[in-house]
Amino acid sequence: MFNLIKKDLIIQKGELLVSVAIIVLYAIFARQLSPFFIFLVASIFLPLNAYINEEKTKINILWNSLPYTRREIVAAKYVGAALFMVLSIGVAGIILYIFNYSYTIRDMAIGAGLFFIFAAFTFPLFYILKPGYIGTAIMIGFLVFSFVLSSIVPFLTENLTVIIHFLTSLSSLTLYLSGAIIAISLYLLSWTISQFVYQRKVF
Amino acid sequence: MNNIVEFKGVTKHLKDFSIKDINLQIKQGYVTGFIGANGAGKSTTMKLMMNLLKADEGDINVFGMDYASNEKEIKERMGFVYDSNVFYESLNLKDIRRIVAPAYKNWDDKQFYDYIKKFELPLNKGIKTFSKGMQMKASLAIALSHEAEFIMMDEPTAGLDPVFRRELLDILQEIMKDGRRTLFFSTHITSDLERIADYITFIQKGKILFTDSMEDVQDRYALVKGNMDVINRDIEKMFIKIERSSYGFTALTNDVAGIKAVLGNRVSMEPATLEDIMFYAKGAERQYV
Repeated sequence: MFNLIKKDLIIQKGELLVSVAIIVLYAIFARQLSPFFIFLVASIFLPLNAYINEEKTKINILWNSLPYTRREIVAAKYVGAALFMVLSIGVAGIILYIFNYSYTIRDMAIGAGLFFIFAAFTFPLFYILKPGYIGTAIMIGFLVFSFVLSSIVPFLTENLTVIIHFLTSLSSLTLYLSGAIIAISLYLLSWTISQFVYQRKVF
Repeated sequence: MNNIVEFKGVTKHLKDFSIKDINLQIKQGYVTGFIGANGAGKSTTMKLMMNLLKADEGDINVFGMDYASNEKEIKERMGFVYDSNVFYESLNLKDIRRIVAPAYKNWDDKQFYDYIKKFELPLNKGIKTFSKGMQMKASLAIALSHEAEFIMMDEPTAGLDPVFRRELLDILQEIMKDGRRTLFFSTHITSDLERIADYITFIQKGKILFTDSMEDVQDRYALVKGNMDVINRDIEKMFIKIERSSYGFTALTNDVAGIKAVLGNRVSMEPATLEDIMFYAKGAERQYV
């Protein structure tokens, strides 16, 4: 399985530099952004790009013809993405530090949490949908998401005091811990779904 | 004689196509040619063999093992050449070696570079710049570099020019010399098989019509020509398909001995090529269904 993770690095040699460049650009030109957003972008870039790369070719036929099981192929993607995420956030942290862009550990944690949630929803699409439809699906997903968000926001503002009251009543530890548990559970659930779909896939 | 691959009653239904109740044996140490018209089920059968598809019914054994419990062991010992490129187009062979080699326990770097040299393949050029023949050779080099005992090739000669095709057949003949390998390859260019195949498996409309040694095929099948007046209902049954014309008939039989006994020298017989067999067998289905 380690070989399957390593191959995503070999294939993305060029993209590695691109992702560093993106972080540097953000660090220089996007001073008004929340740092957690930069961490999110940095962490999601390589894993998502790995999927998009594989969508174009018949590469799944190759992996399945080599001595790997389908279970390993999916596991490598999920474990690999988590590893890339940790690395990318580390690298992004160093770059932001060099460019004097202030951030806290909390920003890193939020970035990582959002990575898990975003990955949990997008990764299975690459197994469920036929290649070529995924771009459309993510677009529709984004529209639905913003629609849902726009209907949630009024609800949130209406009940803001109650929610803030509830959140402040929790200790920050509980808050972060439950956030982490929810994000990671979603990721593991997503892994299970992808695994289930990929087992039945026809090439 | 051992079978390296065995299909027992394998059925697979796909959206607009199915293969039904396939029984297939591939003999160890020989070249088996897999023929059939486009859409007859060759690729589906090969995908089942590689576990890219899972059978709805029946058993598939490779090296006497099944995929459910020995997937990795089977694939360690298998090599594959597909009819289209399955590698990342932008990668060069050096990088492809870096991602493929670690997958195999038996990978032999020296062997790999020897074949690359022998096949005159560039190491630093992207696969997308390769011609069809070069892509095929690259796949073959990889298959040969991990000591694959069974090599499966899907239409390796399709789209190759005649010179290159000969070259490939020579290479295949050479790798078969030591008798350790088994080769299974599909093609609809039947003349390739007449040169190198020991066994022929013929698939038509999702069914295996026969698996026979090349000599058996040549002994049993023949084209028979004669006047219409020798044909009656019983004789007709000895033919797979009869083509009638105003001069007489031409028919394919798989019962040369029977025809000789009944008709003797009232008809003329000539050896049937694989192409004849494919052509007449196709007509037969249309005629009798």
